[in-house]
Amino acid sequence: MQLDLKTIEALAPDQASLGAAAKLTKRSNWPRLETNEQLGLIWGECQGSGSNPYRVAFDTRDHGYKCTCPSRKFPCKHILGLMWIGATAPASFDRVDQTPEWVNDWLGRRRKPGQPPTPAPAGAEGKSIDEAARPEQSAPIEDAAAAERRAAAQRKRAEDTRSAVSAALDELDQWLADQLRLGLAGFVDASSERCRRIAARLVDLKATALAGRIDELPAKLMALRSEERPDAAIRELGKLVLIAKAWRAAPDDAELKRLVSTSETRDQILANPDAVQVESDWEVLGEKIETRRDGLVSHATWLLDLKSPTPRFAVLLDFFPASAGRRSGAFAPGDRFKARLVFYPSRVPLRALVAERLGDASPGNWPDFALNAAGDPLAAYAAFQDGAPWLSDWPILLPAGAIALDEKDGAWWQAANDPHGIALPVAGSVNQTLLGLDLEVTAALWNGARLELLASQSNIGRLDLS
Amino acid sequence: MNELEQAGLARLRDGWISGGAAFELAPVEWKEFAAASNSDEQERRLLAIAAQALDVALRPAAPKTLKRRPPLPVLALPMLPDRLRPLLRAALKYAADARLKARVATLVASRGFVLHPMDWMPAASDQESPDIYAPWVDWQAGADGDRQSRRGQLTAETWDDFYPAARRAALVELRRTMPALARTLIDTKGASEPAEIRLALVELMRFGLSADDVPFLKNLSADRSGKVREMAGRLLARLGERGTQADGGSEDPIAELAGFIEEGKSGFIRRRTTYTPIKPKSPAQQARRADLFASCYFGDLVARFGKTEPDFIGAWQFGVDDGADLFLVRMIAVSGSDAAVACLADLLVAAGGRLALRVLQLMLRLDGGRKRVLIRQILDDGQNLAALNLVEGAEAGWLEWSDLAKSKTIPALRSAISGDNDVMKRSAEQSLETIGFLANPETAENLIDEVVAAGLSPASPSLGLLRLNAALAGNPSQSDR
Repeated sequence: MQLDLKTIEALAPDQASLGAAAKLTKRSNWPRLETNEQLGLIWGECQGSGSNPYRVAFDTRDHGYKCTCPSRKFPCKHILGLMWIGATAPASFDRVDQTPEWVNDWLGRRRKPGQPPTPAPAGAEGKSIDEAARPEQSAPIEDAAAAERRAAAQRKRAEDTRSAVSAALDELDQWLADQLRLGLAGFVDASSERCRRIAARLVDLKATALAGRIDELPAKLMALRSEERPDAAIRELGKLVLIAKAWRAAPDDAELKRLVSTSETRDQILANPDAVQVESDWEVLGEKIETRRDGLVSHATWLLDLKSPTPRFAVLLDFFPASAGRRSGAFAPGDRFKARLVFYPSRVPLRALVAERLGDASPGNWPDFALNAAGDPLAAYAAFQDGAPWLSDWPILLPAGAIALDEKDGAWWQAANDPHGIALPVAGSVNQTLLGLDLEVTAALWNGARLELLASQSNIGRLDLS
Repeated sequence: MNELEQAGLARLRDGWISGGAAFELAPVEWKEFAAASNSDEQERRLLAIAAQALDVALRPAAPKTLKRRPPLPVLALPMLPDRLRPLLRAALKYAADARLKARVATLVASRGFVLHPMDWMPAASDQESPDIYAPWVDWQAGADGDRQSRRGQLTAETWDDFYPAARRAALVELRRTMPALARTLIDTKGASEPAEIRLALVELMRFGLSADDVPFLKNLSADRSGKVREMAGRLLARLGERGTQADGGSEDPIAELAGFIEEGKSGFIRRRTTYTPIKPKSPAQQARRADLFASCYFGDLVARFGKTEPDFIGAWQFGVDDGADLFLVRMIAVSGSDAAVACLADLLVAAGGRLALRVLQLMLRLDGGRKRVLIRQILDDGQNLAALNLVEGAEAGWLEWSDLAKSKTIPALRSAISGDNDVMKRSAEQSLETIGFLANPETAENLIDEVVAAGLSPASPSLGLLRLNAALAGNPSQSDR
């Protein structure tokens, strides 16, 4: 490994990046640091502000780099941090002969420069690694009066936000009544324009999360057959009524604030003593990546707890600007790892953060959850709806079944013995091979109208279906 | 949700779809919950109740017409272990078309595994994939899985239990082991099939073709399909049966074709007969000569000159007219005897260079050993590596490092990889993919080391098949067992 601090200084886009990178040089930020000396590569996983760790790789021979974070600075602080550890503490890297698949993918896709990198210039203008490495000066001690003023300002801001959100929900109530008065047939046809208008008002009044949800409503409706849209509109608009009423009853409730205005930061969740923590073996069931109308891409990674006696799920949810381009996630479907997850406090905990990666988990089948093949496949969904009726997508495990086709070639999941005549429609088109396989257990998301298949255990092993 | 509530929900839905207050249409119990001083509020409360009812109380009803496919047949080999599937997927991703993907499947099958059907499935029309996949090909084409799974050996009684791909594979196997039984099946069952299927069945007679097949093939001269008659005629010609009885008249095509060939003598002491193509004088003559080579049988042409097939081949002056050389080679591929094909292949490979590549026209007739000789020749030469891709039906996983190490291929690959010419580099990478199919595991491993040392990225996707090959090291190819 041939890295020196001058190179890092020269590559850094600005002094702020160097400062941020300096904070990432603690070994505890990096659950994994590895090197392949023969290839001159270093890589690692860095726990950033997202729910997933970022994957970071650097080629010491030509200074090529790759990071899965959404930063628009190149190289980002994670790359600089990795290089910094490489330059100052190379022993932190485990030496391995094999490169992981995601590093191979990157190496395979990148175009190598024709010439080796030029040596770092003697002095990088406006940037100083020495400055960045210096410990931050401790903040001046605040006097009691100043602290009181700051607390008062915080209270005032919170009160202002609450008033604004309350006004937003009043407008939402009126808008909902208007849609019913004007007729849902018209709403379905003009949902894009009408939703955009109320969403913009909600953003102005600080109900940002609710605005995002309403903005996505037209796309949800359009994904359904026309005869299904009125029911879907009733379901989605009804959930908005419930959210508004619940928030008014408990405006300080963390889950409701998350649904209506803003979410907590990673640090807030980690510091929250009420947040449920689960240390277990997890399997990545699948991913769902959607570009939203507000220009953000939501990247959901669905996990199954392999040690829980009953099916327990978690979702790692990250958002990044669509303009940042396609980025790969930290996990691939089928990956298994040991980790401590911290769940966002809620009535039925689902969204989580990886607090600590504890290594890889051994491969194998899913635990036997003794699913009742003769029972209602949506019983778990109904139970979760009782606790949190505003939820839309919920993961479920389906018992033994198979995929069948209707007359229009629409796919349906059907239980192996189908005691109730229930079949669940599957979103989108399915791989035709699936039609000939016996699905022993299937993990899927149910959104009230469609199943989105994530993974299955079948007569020929695990199937990635997301 | 009881029936009254369901009916109430349906009324509410209809009311809201058209617009206006729907409170009075709601079920009584719901109205009690939703009652409020404000009519808008009443509607909103009803909306929330209706939403929850739709979410938790209603279940989609299965359409009565739901149709399941028959179970995907289980193949006769185990599935590739999960740990090797990432390497397999990388190799499949790099394989540019269906033929190259089928080649990956062939390599894996030669090591005793089949692919996971979610990684790769042969198409319903697939004829490139190994025979082991025939049940999947038929499943793709809509075959009944139950019938497939209960069938045994192919006989007249089980004929209908076999779908086309599986039937073809079974007939090929029968032609190799019990040719008479296969011939009887083709004869009895083929008669009632349409011309296109009859043609495909008769074409299978080329496997294990022998003099015993002559009476059956002669009977086909009365077949109602011209294509079947033509196929039977070619097969008879391969067995030395004369097609056209030459009378030397002006309408005799053999005599006309012979007119394009000059018989001569060479050598001072031992005068040797030579046959040299005569250059056509016009495009019309050129076209006519091409037609004649395509429609006449080699045995008839040779008889016209009173020679044996190998003698005629030995006397042909290759290199005088490339076009005529190509026509002759194609003619022998179609209607020459096995001995003529072997003689021609040996002669061309020995000549080397561009002439050796003419053997590519004989691929369907060549045995595995001669294909290997040709491949070694192409590798030794190192000039036309792209021709490796044209070696149809080559066996997988046999090429030894000693075959490659001393060949000109290694320096050619090294030079292309370390050079600046992107076209050469791409071409070298394609050759690596092809050699990845031919190589044994040791060769694959060594070749990876060679090209990485020459500057190719160790993670280059073009190494995908070589890496998969090397990782299958514990499972030698069937052909090498």
